[in-house]
Amino acid sequence: MRHNSSRDLVIPGPAGCALMALALLAWCILFLKAEEQIPILVYMISGCLLVLVAALSDLHKSISATIASNEAAWDGCMIGVMLLLMITFRDDHYTLLLLGTIMAYATAVLGLNVQLGFTGVINFSAASFFGIGCYTAAILGTAGWPSLLCLVMGGVMAALVGCLLLAPVLRTSGHYAALVTMAFALLFRVFLEVSDLLGGPQGVAVPPMQMFGVDFSQAMQLWGSECSFYLRYDIALLILLSLSFAFVRRLERSWIGLSMDAVRSDETASACFGINIAKWKIVAFTLGNLLSGLSGALYGMMLAYISPANYAFADSLIFLSILLLGGIGNSWGVILATVFVVVVPEKFQVIQEYRYLLYAALVLFMIIYRPMGLLPRKVRNYGRLA
Amino acid sequence: MSALLSCTDLTMRFGGLTALDKLNLDVAKGDVLGLVGPNGSGKTTFFNVVTGIYRPSAGTVVFDGQDVTSRTAQEIYRLGIARTFQRSRLCLDLTVFDNVMIGNHKNLDMGIVHNLLARGRFRAECKRNLERVKTLLHGLNPALVKRVGQPVSMLSMIDRRRVEVCRALVSDPVLLFLDEPSAGMTHDETKRLMDEILVLSDGGKNFTVVLIEHEMEVIRRVTNRCVVLNFGRKLCEGDYETVTADPFVKEAYLGTELD
Ligand SMILES: Nc1ncnc2c1ncn2[C@@H]1O[C@H](COP(=O)(O)OP(=O)(O)OP(=O)(O)O)[C@@H](O)[C@H]1O
Ligand SMILES: [Mg+2]
Repeated sequence: MRHNSSRDLVIPGPAGCALMALALLAWCILFLKAEEQIPILVYMISGCLLVLVAALSDLHKSISATIASNEAAWDGCMIGVMLLLMITFRDDHYTLLLLGTIMAYATAVLGLNVQLGFTGVINFSAASFFGIGCYTAAILGTAGWPSLLCLVMGGVMAALVGCLLLAPVLRTSGHYAALVTMAFALLFRVFLEVSDLLGGPQGVAVPPMQMFGVDFSQAMQLWGSECSFYLRYDIALLILLSLSFAFVRRLERSWIGLSMDAVRSDETASACFGINIAKWKIVAFTLGNLLSGLSGALYGMMLAYISPANYAFADSLIFLSILLLGGIGNSWGVILATVFVVVVPEKFQVIQEYRYLLYAALVLFMIIYRPMGLLPRKVRNYGRLA
Repeated sequence: MSALLSCTDLTMRFGGLTALDKLNLDVAKGDVLGLVGPNGSGKTTFFNVVTGIYRPSAGTVVFDGQDVTSRTAQEIYRLGIARTFQRSRLCLDLTVFDNVMIGNHKNLDMGIVHNLLARGRFRAECKRNLERVKTLLHGLNPALVKRVGQPVSMLSMIDRRRVEVCRALVSDPVLLFLDEPSAGMTHDETKRLMDEILVLSDGGKNFTVVLIEHEMEVIRRVTNRCVVLNFGRKLCEGDYETVTADPFVKEAYLGTELD
């Protein structure tokens, strides 16, 4: 615990957080602004090298110590970075959509984190629950329901449909949960394609978000200049992500999170100490699907048009690989890995076609050489107890 | 004196194998009961049946006046039976505090508002529990107090055992089951651990203990009564002298060790 100040570079408190956030912001802007493949590659490699240097030296220790002891400041800084990025790219549809995708996926993977990372409930159909959110928003929105209600219903529907899978998920022995959720993911896609009500293979339009008399699909004015309509959605997604993040983190740092961990680690011991295994698995599975559905509904509104192709089994695998890559159980790891998985194929067109191959290779590499992920989960911190 | 735990004709079959065979066993309040017997004689199975991990094939278990034969493990824990496991069942990546708190589940407020929103009250509860865990750890090994926030995987085997004992003790059980707490320890370590547990139990005043133990010296020192199992049946019972004088016991189990 004690720091050797002569060797460690001590970055002081909130100022340190702000400094790191500024560096991150600068790098993100440069990287996102770059359009030629060579500069993109240069930024990418320099970023990776920087991370590598931090990881290999003691730098990462002082960084994580600074973050851990100034959590609120760090959270604020990260929200600030996101907002400043949005403002910087306020008229750039493409980049704003990219940022929105990151935030929507990250929210969904946070849900998966509650399921698999905390409670050990495997779910190979996260993208399907995400899709249920999208389609619910499309159908209810078309039927004239208020947007906010559509959003909530997107989450609720995902959670309700998830209840269909509860029986296999609660089976402890064997790989029932894995197999049944895989089957569900495959069936869901087929169901979308054959359902006339849901638009079949062509998909359906999703009515835009309307809130406080503001139509989210209309361009927005900011300081006299015209901004992309995606900006509003990005702000909404940032709010959803921040709330989900805070929720998941509090969950982890509570007796509920502890019980979930116990269920994951050892069901026999949990039962012998009065922990209701089925209850916590149901809670985790439902909460995870709720988060997937919520983010799906909002993301669907942002896309304005959705089709079954986005909710395939392969997309569920991407959600899972984000979690594995980021560090199972670590919410910041989820964010980092989502950024990586979403941005890299977008920025390197060469990779686009081979992205599944890239993810597969990456996940294999991680499982072999760094099974805890990029940011391994820390021990539980219940907050200041002194 | 009425028994705290009373098992009648308790039978547990695994397929063709009878691990417990019409076992009649009583534990009186205040007992420190030693459960001995050769490998595979059904000692752990007895714990597993009483604590609700297995449902017995036949027979009844009465605890504190209630028939608990078909209760689940969760219900039995809530009635006040806590245990340790022969093979350590700690969550290695969780901290010492987390592991012990898992054992205190019945005293924790699991309410959503309390856990997620009223964080001030939650932290106060957390702090109380932390003090309690530190006190318990101090009783077992003062050096563990400083390590309460470390993952269990960083502890030595004997300290992990202590954490397991702590986890069983933290909920103030009425009846404590210890399944070979000394497995993998030296003689001295075993004695120390047992002394620590005995101090905490205050000779059965605070809680009643059933101890599975292969080390006869430990049995002699800490128990007031023993039951010897063989092939799931009770071979004999009584105090240490009675039991070790039994010719069947000598032959079946203790012969080589006593010579
Ligand atoms: N779940 C199970 N399924 C099948 N057989 C079992 C099961 N649990 C225990 N047994 C068998 O029951 C018998 C008694 O086992 P138990 O673990 O109770 O012995 P023990 O007295 O604790 O032995 P040890 O001193 O080695 O711990 C053994 O033959 C064992 O193989
Ligand atoms: Mg045993």
